[in-house]
Amino acid sequence: MSNGARMRSLVTGRVAAIAGISALALTACGTGGGTGGSGGEDGDVVLEFAQWWEPELPDGEFRALIDQFEEENPGITVELLSGPYASTKEQVLAGAAAGTMSDVVGLDGAWVNDFAKQGAIADLSALMDEDGFDDSQLVSQVAVDGSTYMIPVVNFVYPMFTNDDLLSQAGVTAPPSTRTEFADAAQQITALGDNTYGWVLPLSLEAPNGVQNDVMSWVWASGGSMLDDGQPALTDNPDVESGVQFVADLWEDGVVAPGSFTMKEQDKVEEFTNGRVGMMIDSLAHVTTIQEANPDLQFSISAIPAEDGYTGERGIPYASWGIGVAENSEHKAEAMKLVEFLLSTETNTQLSSIANAFPGNTESVPDFVEDNELFATAFEIYQDGYPANEFTGLPVAEELMRQFGEQLQKTLNGDQSVDDLLTNAQQEWESEF
Amino acid sequence: MFTSHVEQKQQRDPVVAPVGPGRSGPDQAAPADRPPARPGWERLKRRLTPYGFLTPTGVLMAILMLTPIVMVIWYSLLDGVITNKDSQLVGFDNYAEVLTDPVFYTAVRNTLVFTVSSVVAHFGIGLGFAMLLNTPLLSNRTKAFFRVIYVLPWLFTVAIIAVLWRLLLNPNGVVNYLLGSVGITGGQTEWLADPSTALAAVTFINIWAGYPFFMISLLAGLQGIPRDLYEAARVDGATPFQQFRNVTLPQLRPIIISMALLDFIWTTQQFALIWMTTGGGPINATEMLSTFTYKLAFSRYEFSVASASAVIVLLLSMVLAFFYVRHQKARD
Amino acid sequence: MATLTPTPARTSSTPALRRPPSKRGQKALLLVALVIGAMFAGLPVLWMLASSFKANSEIFQSPPRLVTPGFSFDAYTSILTDPVKLRFFGNSYLVAGAVTLLTLLVAVLAAYAFSRYEFRGKKIINVVIVSVQAVPPITLLIPYFGLVVALRLYNTYPGLILTYMVFTLPYAIIMMTGYFNTLPRELDEAVKVDGAGPLTALWRILVPISVPGLVSVGVYTFMIAWNEFLFALTLTRTEDMRTVPIGIQLLMGQHSYNWNEMMAMSILGCIPVLILFLFFQRYFIGGMTAGAVKV
Repeated sequence: MSNGARMRSLVTGRVAAIAGISALALTACGTGGGTGGSGGEDGDVVLEFAQWWEPELPDGEFRALIDQFEEENPGITVELLSGPYASTKEQVLAGAAAGTMSDVVGLDGAWVNDFAKQGAIADLSALMDEDGFDDSQLVSQVAVDGSTYMIPVVNFVYPMFTNDDLLSQAGVTAPPSTRTEFADAAQQITALGDNTYGWVLPLSLEAPNGVQNDVMSWVWASGGSMLDDGQPALTDNPDVESGVQFVADLWEDGVVAPGSFTMKEQDKVEEFTNGRVGMMIDSLAHVTTIQEANPDLQFSISAIPAEDGYTGERGIPYASWGIGVAENSEHKAEAMKLVEFLLSTETNTQLSSIANAFPGNTESVPDFVEDNELFATAFEIYQDGYPANEFTGLPVAEELMRQFGEQLQKTLNGDQSVDDLLTNAQQEWESEF
Repeated sequence: MFTSHVEQKQQRDPVVAPVGPGRSGPDQAAPADRPPARPGWERLKRRLTPYGFLTPTGVLMAILMLTPIVMVIWYSLLDGVITNKDSQLVGFDNYAEVLTDPVFYTAVRNTLVFTVSSVVAHFGIGLGFAMLLNTPLLSNRTKAFFRVIYVLPWLFTVAIIAVLWRLLLNPNGVVNYLLGSVGITGGQTEWLADPSTALAAVTFINIWAGYPFFMISLLAGLQGIPRDLYEAARVDGATPFQQFRNVTLPQLRPIIISMALLDFIWTTQQFALIWMTTGGGPINATEMLSTFTYKLAFSRYEFSVASASAVIVLLLSMVLAFFYVRHQKARD
Repeated sequence: MATLTPTPARTSSTPALRRPPSKRGQKALLLVALVIGAMFAGLPVLWMLASSFKANSEIFQSPPRLVTPGFSFDAYTSILTDPVKLRFFGNSYLVAGAVTLLTLLVAVLAAYAFSRYEFRGKKIINVVIVSVQAVPPITLLIPYFGLVVALRLYNTYPGLILTYMVFTLPYAIIMMTGYFNTLPRELDEAVKVDGAGPLTALWRILVPISVPGLVSVGVYTFMIAWNEFLFALTLTRTEDMRTVPIGIQLLMGQHSYNWNEMMAMSILGCIPVLILFLFFQRYFIGGMTAGAVKV
């Protein structure tokens, strides 16, 4: 018996005992207008799709894509349930525990392992097999124990953004491509004074993804890895050590903008947009936001600097809008149709174009790659390197970032050395695996 | 003999004496006035009446509050509930895990500092503002204007309060700008991001957001103090401060105690404000029982351990509630 | 403050020493204090108001300015012309209003029992009512959600209303019990002598006298229901059931915040509440209870 079902029977048992009283309580309050229920017209299937994407996209555009799906699939209606990104995880969790999870759910790579272990999301490998879906066209799949549970629909990569004006004022002619160049540039920009800093590092413990995008990215960009055969390998790992040491040195040099310990990704972008930091590692999703907010700001995009002398491929961090199917869904086949629709070459091209993201389908080429120079550069960087996000699919991935973030804060605060940081984080991580 | 005069007054004047339950209540006094028909039935009815009044509350609380709490207590005895398909009964292992975690004690300490400072300041500011707004010296219109301003912090949802104060306290924010231009600070203080100021900063935000609750209730309470008590005190030559200490405070005492207790309990479980400003950091500086429990549940996925932590908090507050109820009884 | 140190008798000897400041001086002092208090309370809100008129790019500008070149009402128009967002407001009012009325109704009954009767289990019920509030709601979320689904209250107004009543009732009961305790029993007994039951005594005598208490409890109840986020989000599913706090959070995107609309939405949300408060605040103005109680 699934966990959700067990819990439900527990609840219903207790409810039955007090059914009479509860009915009384309800009538006392009158029955208001709830819509509830997911039954559609006769024979129609109503799919619920819970995600945070719709409010992120221009008004009505995501709905338009879904309308297209409904047109192509008569008999299936899709109800879009949108929630705030920051609370999506709790909602999916509560829904899974009560057996009311939406048929199709938007997922972040950091949650997949937990939801899969909970039995909340369905094994997509099996569903794809049943359907005869050709998964070779997928850029990536997120698997737990060998089975796919999430497919990234679009990916937001995190290259380095540099403020052209600040760099030239500081006498830096080209965006740095090695760590030494980066550290020098950061110092020169900070030396401009007037509350200007070289780099910005969001380490909020509320949203700890800065550890992934702004810290570990240094390791991945030089071909390093924080894992060894799927297990944490933070200690005795020169790549990780030098990457983290580099971040600590930048901090020591005073080139990091103040407020790091509670800064979130959204704040980081504001600092850059307002011309107070020269360089940041950030999501491509922000390019248009920055251009709209500060049309005068001249900035470039380049690969994250690597260790001096490194010539291999550079890993580039990314975040995905992933998709999964609920284990408790009664319409898995129809749900899979929606998944396949979103990942089809044509739809995926459209979706990645409106989201300013890179497609999850290998064949799709979003419009902006041709129209927008910055995106074209980014696409090159993306294709030259490899997408690297080792947190995706790990157990309690968000907690791993948070634990590392907390240890890093201690180090930056001067309470412990980088070695201690890595030893402690390694210990904490091992206990979670 | 100013004090004793007031006490006498209180005894004489039943209006202000807090009438305790059970003393000369209607259940004892009323029947004497009525024809004693079917005494057994009457007595039963009388005995059941209070339960009748409590039924709606009881039904609601039993179904919607006690049921989930009982489930949480049950979860706390299981192993890996929600995430495991078959969780086993493990007794008090989860409690041991919470109680051996050093972060738990940091959380307890921070929660205490945060809560006690918040409650004291809520009370102080709330009472101060209520007294200012209760003055007979100003016109009603002026007072109405200030009342509206003073109640403002209360009208916003926590998410907005958190976002607003993050903006205000940003290193480049307006607070630093103002303090810097006056020359009080260097101009880029990281109020929330510096481990040494973070706890004070979130406490300040919580004080700002919460004092109107005290203010409103105390304002209503001040209206209930009979004027003649003040007149009597003035006749006895009491200074305004003496009037405050010997009339106002004792008269407000029942309200103050109830509110302080409730505020204490609410503040200990304040979660959203802390989570959305500091996330419990930097390092552990603002880790509270609520954020600690949240992380156990939704970040580490340890619902059983989180439930154990919640039950510990529940037990602690039951002790507090017990003393409160006993205190009330003693006063009666 | 708990110990009352008896002051020595000095009824006639001291007044000359402490010359009270003049009426005008007192008034000036009072106004200064009020203005300082108002700055503490109001300046952050003023900043919120100012931010709602800024362009999003100006929110983080340094040095910060109250009024910026990008001043516009865009944030307000985009909210007020969006039927989805207007519905959030409607939902919030409906839910908060219903919670307030029902909480007061249920709490008054319970408070009457606590104030006027002695009965078995009173102490236990009291301890339970006070302490259940201490459980962090976030830990109750998952079992509570299952319960609401099982009761078929998921995504309904009654679901939200009953949930908020659970949060607001303990406070309302405790406060109303306190108010009733300050009212003399002779009041209700006078009615009962005429042969009326306890309900009549409660509704005809106690409730009318307790209006200031009811209003302050009502204001509190309304605010809790109005501002609650976590359960509003979890217990509703569709857009037509969502409330203002969720609407505000929806503006906090994964990648960037819509600062000015967030601020505008919370300003718009508070205006009707302020009007309501202005309307009811006459009950706080002096004399009402003091006069009424002296029968």
